[in-house]
Amino acid sequence: MAIELQINGKAQVVQADGAMPLLWVLRDVLNMTGTKFGCGVAACGACTVRVDGQAVRSCVTPVSTVEGKQIQTIEGLGDAKLSRLQEAWIAEQVPQCGYCQSGMLMAAAALLDTTPQPTNAQIDTAMTNICRCGTYQRVRAAIHRAAGTAKSEVPA
Amino acid sequence: MKRRNILLSAVGIGGALLVGWGVMPQRSRMGKGDLMLPTSGDVALNGWLKIAADGSVVMAMPRSEMGQGVHTALPMLVAEELDMPLVKVRIEQSGLDKIYGNVAMFVAALPFHPKDSEADHQTTVVKTGEWIVGKVARELGVVVTGGSSSVADAWGPVRLAAATVRAQLVAAAATQWGVGAEQVTINQGVLTAGGKSGHFGQFMTAAAAVSPGKVQVKDRKDFKLLGTSAARTDVPAKVTGKAQFGADVRVPGMVYAAVRLSPMLGGAPSTVDSSKALAIPGVERVVTFAGLAGGTAGLAVIGISSWHAKQGALALEVQWQQRPLGALDTDVIAKQLSDTAAEGGGFTFHSRGSVDDAEQAATRKIEALYSAPYLAHATMEPMNCTAQVLDGKVTVWAPTQVPQMARDIAAQVAGVSKDAVTVNVTMLGGGFGRRLEVDFVAQAVRVAMDCQGRAVQLLYSREEDMTHDFYRPAQAALLRASIDTSGAVRSLRIQSAGDAITPRWFERAFPLLAGPVDGPDKTTSEGLFDLPYNFAHQHMSHTATKSGVPVGFWRSVGHSHNAFFSESFVDELAYAVQTDPLEFRRRALAQAPRHLVVLNLAVAQSDWGRPLPAGHALGMALHESFGSVVAMVTQVSQQADKLRVHRVVCAIDCGTVVNPGIVAQQVESSVVFGLGAVLYGRIDIVQGQVQQTNFPNYPVISLAQAPVVQTHIVPSTAMPTGVGEPALPPLAPAVANALYALTGKRARSLPITTTSIG
Repeated sequence: MAIELQINGKAQVVQADGAMPLLWVLRDVLNMTGTKFGCGVAACGACTVRVDGQAVRSCVTPVSTVEGKQIQTIEGLGDAKLSRLQEAWIAEQVPQCGYCQSGMLMAAAALLDTTPQPTNAQIDTAMTNICRCGTYQRVRAAIHRAAGTAKSEVPA
Repeated sequence: MKRRNILLSAVGIGGALLVGWGVMPQRSRMGKGDLMLPTSGDVALNGWLKIAADGSVVMAMPRSEMGQGVHTALPMLVAEELDMPLVKVRIEQSGLDKIYGNVAMFVAALPFHPKDSEADHQTTVVKTGEWIVGKVARELGVVVTGGSSSVADAWGPVRLAAATVRAQLVAAAATQWGVGAEQVTINQGVLTAGGKSGHFGQFMTAAAAVSPGKVQVKDRKDFKLLGTSAARTDVPAKVTGKAQFGADVRVPGMVYAAVRLSPMLGGAPSTVDSSKALAIPGVERVVTFAGLAGGTAGLAVIGISSWHAKQGALALEVQWQQRPLGALDTDVIAKQLSDTAAEGGGFTFHSRGSVDDAEQAATRKIEALYSAPYLAHATMEPMNCTAQVLDGKVTVWAPTQVPQMARDIAAQVAGVSKDAVTVNVTMLGGGFGRRLEVDFVAQAVRVAMDCQGRAVQLLYSREEDMTHDFYRPAQAALLRASIDTSGAVRSLRIQSAGDAITPRWFERAFPLLAGPVDGPDKTTSEGLFDLPYNFAHQHMSHTATKSGVPVGFWRSVGHSHNAFFSESFVDELAYAVQTDPLEFRRRALAQAPRHLVVLNLAVAQSDWGRPLPAGHALGMALHESFGSVVAMVTQVSQQADKLRVHRVVCAIDCGTVVNPGIVAQQVESSVVFGLGAVLYGRIDIVQGQVQQTNFPNYPVISLAQAPVVQTHIVPSTAMPTGVGEPALPPLAPAVANALYALTGKRARSLPITTTSIG
């Protein structure tokens, strides 16, 4: 079926089974490979994109459910120039292998939209994405840097 | 046979290669420019470096970037010698010539005690062994990223290649400007002399024609870039989603494949009904394959997307048969390992004094049995490979640590010559040793052969990835110490048992060199036989088992569990003789000054001996691996029965440091990776079937659980040693020792759970 999607501010019509998860529409139909596959069961967050601002796990999101909604992927996070969040990510040298980082950044972007100055506890709750390289303390520092909150705040 | 003779015969792998060594000149690893990819407008000056017309430099990159920062660290060696900005060193994937082979990794695999391998203290046997293996490794020229060896291996040849290019550029500029070479300086990639200046590109052609003369690499006092936390070159693409991992490869007209492997390890499909799978729109074909490259047999379903292929794979109706040798069961294996460890025997990796006599004379003996389970790698990017078989040629795109093995297996599967195979190495979404295997490459090529010339991307589901790994082997060890009348520890005996990894990998990687009998495998005993402590009598032996479970290299390999055994037991000994664990270690390190410095640095930076919040305690561990020494002090608490690690203070001596920022990253990474194994990691196999399938039942550390990690580096002018792995082994014992300080309960098996301690 033809589905009209709003991705990174642009309308795109795709031919896809409505049950096909958004992740695979992005990756295999639209060749937008910035969004990653990690677990397929919404457990790791590598596939995180934003739908109407909310962080969602696109591996379990049927594409039919996001028709007409605003979808943002990593490709749209810093369209013309890098977002403040991406700059913070570079300043803190967050990524190692980098595979989980698209999802991490999208989750962080959603967090900062609703909570511009998050505490460590709020970061803990919002950032449930898995990183096997263990970049977590730099993720935390980069979120604080982007938010302009004290970097020295140390989790209990 | 004497121990040294066994060692030397074990290192004499590829005995046939020994013939003719005497007459073979020491092969230079510089290489000629024609080894590099010919690109128009560039001039290749040797096998490692090309100059581009715009004055930038292109480096041949033989190592895979899997997060460890090697695509930054190796270009830093080049930028330093050439006094140029790091960002102007570009990389292109190197070919597979022997100059790019990893020599350091193979030399480090020798089962010698680190004390015997230190410069100035090498025994004849060590010197001979290292020479032989160095020669073999040079001749094999295996392009492999692993063993925390990349910087150590590149340190000599890459700096020399860059210094040679520098000498050629300087000579060319001096000739053109009519000045002496000593008058030409380079700053920020610009050559200057007597008021004239120019960038590298302006002299590249002339440089290619001049002899560099006698070349000296920079003196370390002149280092400007090395030793600084230069920004990683791979980071910008990793914050925009542009970095290309294996699963991101897109080829026009490609199709996608999902696998359904025998759920029983080593099993195979007996009957298959594909009709329901093939009835799904978007599913076009089912391919059956045997076990390839050590992997398990199974099926692949080809579809128009990974999702369609996966739907097809789930719809296959398959009857499976067990492996011919019978179903694997980890409970049975664990019992066998404990029994075997208690029995002792096997190969003696280290012996000093007489443990038998010391034990006879002892007034007290302390004994403990430790164990660790199988572990999966669980890289964030599941196993995948894209392959195309077209007109007798094979193209492979793979996130791999072993491009040469990938080429060789692709050639073997497709039945073409190695020259007909091209391997493109992508970014790796984690490696941790899993991508030292090429099972998924073999499967992709096999499937591509049925795709009529189209490229196919074979991608594992997380479930297939976790249930078809090459697991970190389970291991058990009995540790026994004797204490004399004065209360001093006189002897330490360690008897361990577990599968050897290296011989199994050699069987998969280099079957011709595997040999009929396993040589002693350092990975089985590393972290047990090579301790720095000066107990007068020591005996460490290992019985290598063959469980049948596919085993492989898992970040820090044998050290990952053996350090937990040895450093926990050292803590037990400290308490047994009523000595503070720090004081106990200090005394036992009288002949290990390097270790003592590292330990003292970690302690000085921690709260050891200071008041802590109520319900908190500290633990420490010290461990040498991959040539580096790491000490850790961890702060833990228990909240609602849950063990929580708050802070890890780490000191590391990894020789000369190229990029301290990357060292800190790798320490943080090792701590988090290791903590997953401490709190959760275990793979159980029942009736041949791996029980853990995905993150919900194989949990890993989350951000909320991640401790604060502080890294302190010991200044050093020694050769660079490992960074990617050495901070992992001490984490588990440091946590277990802190837990003991907190609760008086000793954890002797991993993962540490409320039921595993007592």
